[in-house]
Amino acid sequence: MADTTLQSWEYLETLPGTQFYRLYRSPASALAIFRKRLTSLAKTFVMMLLYMPAPLPVKQLELFVKDASRGEREYAIDLLHRYHIFKDVSYNGAKAHALTPDFARSLRRALTGAGDSRSFGQVATHVPHGQKVTIAQLDEYARQRWEGILGYMVGSSAVPLESTTTEHQAAMQPSPGVIELLKAGHLIELSGTHSRGQTAKITKEGFAFVLQDINTQIWALLFLYVDNAEVFEMDKVDVLSFLFFVSSLELGLAYSTAPLDETQQRCLSDLVSFGIVYQPLRDDGTPVDFFYPTRLATTLTSDSSTTLSATNTTIGSSLSKSSSSSSQSSSGTAKGFIIVETNYRLYAYTSSPLQIALLSLFVNLRSRHPNLVTGKMSKSSVQRAIQAGITADQIISYLTSHAHPQMRRHAQAEQARNSDPNLVVPILPATILDQIHLWQLERDRMTTTPGFLLKDFPNHADYEAPCRYADEIGVLVWKNDKKRMFFVNRIEGVRSFMAERRANAQG
Amino acid sequence: MNAVDGSDHFGRASHDQAPSLLTIILDTNPAAWSLLSSTLPFSSAIANILVFINAHLAGNYTNKVAVIASHCDRATWLYPTPTEQKPPPPRSSSSSADPNNRTADGASGVRHDLSESTKRLKLNPHDANNDHDSSKTPLNLDSSSPSSLETGNKYRPFRLVEEEVLQNLTALLSSTTPDAVSRSPTTMIAGALTLALSYINRESIAYAESLIGMTAAVAETSTTGATGGGGGGVSSSTTTTGDASTNSSLQSRILLVSVSPSTDLAHQYIPIMNAIFACQRLAIPIDIMQLPLPTQQGQQPQPPKQPTNNNTSTTNTTTSNSQSTSSSSSSNSTVFLQQAADATHGIFIAVQLPSPSPSLSGSTSTSDTPSTSPSSTTTTKASQAFLSYLLASLLPSPSTRAAHLILPTRIDVDFRAACFCHRNVVSIGFVCSICLSIFCSVPDNGDCLTCGTHLSLGRYGARPVVVAKKSKKKQHSAAAK
Repeated sequence: MADTTLQSWEYLETLPGTQFYRLYRSPASALAIFRKRLTSLAKTFVMMLLYMPAPLPVKQLELFVKDASRGEREYAIDLLHRYHIFKDVSYNGAKAHALTPDFARSLRRALTGAGDSRSFGQVATHVPHGQKVTIAQLDEYARQRWEGILGYMVGSSAVPLESTTTEHQAAMQPSPGVIELLKAGHLIELSGTHSRGQTAKITKEGFAFVLQDINTQIWALLFLYVDNAEVFEMDKVDVLSFLFFVSSLELGLAYSTAPLDETQQRCLSDLVSFGIVYQPLRDDGTPVDFFYPTRLATTLTSDSSTTLSATNTTIGSSLSKSSSSSSQSSSGTAKGFIIVETNYRLYAYTSSPLQIALLSLFVNLRSRHPNLVTGKMSKSSVQRAIQAGITADQIISYLTSHAHPQMRRHAQAEQARNSDPNLVVPILPATILDQIHLWQLERDRMTTTPGFLLKDFPNHADYEAPCRYADEIGVLVWKNDKKRMFFVNRIEGVRSFMAERRANAQG
Repeated sequence: MNAVDGSDHFGRASHDQAPSLLTIILDTNPAAWSLLSSTLPFSSAIANILVFINAHLAGNYTNKVAVIASHCDRATWLYPTPTEQKPPPPRSSSSSADPNNRTADGASGVRHDLSESTKRLKLNPHDANNDHDSSKTPLNLDSSSPSSLETGNKYRPFRLVEEEVLQNLTALLSSTTPDAVSRSPTTMIAGALTLALSYINRESIAYAESLIGMTAAVAETSTTGATGGGGGGVSSSTTTTGDASTNSSLQSRILLVSVSPSTDLAHQYIPIMNAIFACQRLAIPIDIMQLPLPTQQGQQPQPPKQPTNNNTSTTNTTTSNSQSTSSSSSSNSTVFLQQAADATHGIFIAVQLPSPSPSLSGSTSTSDTPSTSPSSTTTTKASQAFLSYLLASLLPSPSTRAAHLILPTRIDVDFRAACFCHRNVVSIGFVCSICLSIFCSVPDNGDCLTCGTHLSLGRYGARPVVVAKKSKKKQHSAAAK
């Protein structure tokens, strides 16, 4: 499964604990990690412990959670350990949970505004009157930048973009730094030489990348950036905490660059080229001493994966808007634009070359009208996409997140008619969902999961306990009771569980 | 291969968090808070509530909050500030003729009052007359000090909420006259609940619209009526907690921080009950946090009927209906609020303040606590205990609670009702067979006061008799035919 976000966040989890502690020194980072990465149950635990003067014994924590939710509880605790938010201490002779001091202090500071860390940005007070920027302008700027990056990637694919992209007003060509980054992440491959002008070719990962929702894309790119930070002689943790800092800023306000140190200044100029912040230039080409975060920045730590938070739809729609002036008027209300029928026909109310190019990755486009593209999904078109490295889930999530309001309304009407509230009616027709999956299964009959095989257990009880534990914390991938073997994709939790079990057995 | 698929399940669960709207109703009754000032000063309580609000907002990018003050003579917004009205200015002494009238007709009445008060904006000569509240108005929070405004020590959404709440609260308190406080010792819970409900309804509709886009939600929900609107799919089954459809609707809940256990809420019985039923139907939990008044009248869950007047009834004398209510008022508020929490699957917590449990008092983290009152250790402890209650029990969103948590519920809920004739709290009464109104004694003439039906009382007062077997048989045979 080529899920780049998860890869990215797991990258964060691989940082050593000391780096985490440094990261947590900034309240903005602690707040962002808390909000973005923890499950609701984990958040509950953190808040429970935040102002508690003493560690909370494990047994007492278990009392808070229903028996049926043991799995979620174990997962939440494991997650908190992975992010170095919880640590095990012994309190009155019993095993207990405590928050790591750096995280606790920072989160408390974030909530109360105490301390003097200034981690939430200093609003610039002296913005010249003529240089004030409206939110609409910021959105437009972010859209141009981001669509420029995506357009660059897609435009270099086998499906050529139409010439409208190169018109003025249209998306900007990404900066060399961005191209370098895309290359480093194997999202594109460059061929040709510097002197002749390079041609870029999108890779499988690149296809997967462009179909994801914007928030995921940005994070994927930002993690690439962090990963490569040391190449640019910057510290990973500094870069990360600066990213979290930017994500905590408020849209539409100018922030002063005065409190930023040198690394942060450099980061800032890179973020400008992503379209995440906007920094006006003086007449002589040097940047002014304040900057605006765009919507891409302020939604960084929002939880976009919950269908559609309001902010994400806004940026999504503004990004899916065509830049050409013809659709400016019509795109005001539309958030989604794709209608899929049960007969695999697809109608997309868009004239954005980028969106059309994306659609053409897995749809046979039939006709094009001033604001409408029609096409049909077929086995060959979908399998062509799958061959190019796009998964069925990515296609489906793309179609779902860009579904026309009419389809959403229809799905909700179905839902309301439904007597069983547990049954969620999907926005796309069920036949389409199934068929796309089936088409994928025709090609993909094998999935690979890196992990650890545990075997040679002396007796059934020794096998049973860690196996059940692995299932509870959600790392169990496969098991065979007869052979007493099971396979996990993460070993840490299971290892400590088994060690503890052994210790208990001996002691 | 795919038989065990745990990781996938968890991957989804980690992001399954719908936005949630927290509506806090804060009982700002000055008389009650002044009694509490030795243990938990109002300013530190507010500071803790603000931290709690921030914690709620921190949980999710799309979480929302609303704060309503249930004051001694009216219910008013603290956050968000009503658009047309900057500081809530009313000269309450002039307008608060009878609190019963206003709360009885619910939100429209309160709204009307608010808009009326805007017309009298800046006509308030009573600013200097706030000596009664002078002990409470200085809210020396670190967040309100101007130095932290622009330096960026505070996440900006947090700061905006705090500033607005503090500003509105200060305005509310400074506009409260001693006269108004002495006139009505109660607090306007019913009005505040109704304000909260109308706000929740509006937000739910707005959220549903933002999900689908356009006006589909309005068309769909308008069929269920004005109060039943926002719930949509949730309200189809009235008593379930509505956790199933978390994705499609805004999760709302109400937190009521109540400090006035001695108030006679009985005269607001009907509007409160209506609000409770509305919440029940919309699957909105009402959480109650009951702060105890200090020992002078004992801890609050009192035995129900005490014939003596309790000590706050000295302020009670001017109200018209005090003759019977004051007798049983000491437990009224907990009665109805317990029922509110129970009926709506909320949490009822009777706080024990200067905490006897040692685990909360040995403070290692006081350096960062927002308790700003620098006074004795009991207040620090009390405010810390207060915050711990808030964060540990009342923070999780409704869906998390329903799915995973064991709630600190109260089992022995007092289900007594208030009669419609004298607002007495009764455990055995008379019930109209037509409209189910409750009376503590037989109404005059046997006519129901609510629906006017003439009720024949039969042999009231006769001792119950075991019904003879014969009649039962007769019924059976009659049914068989």
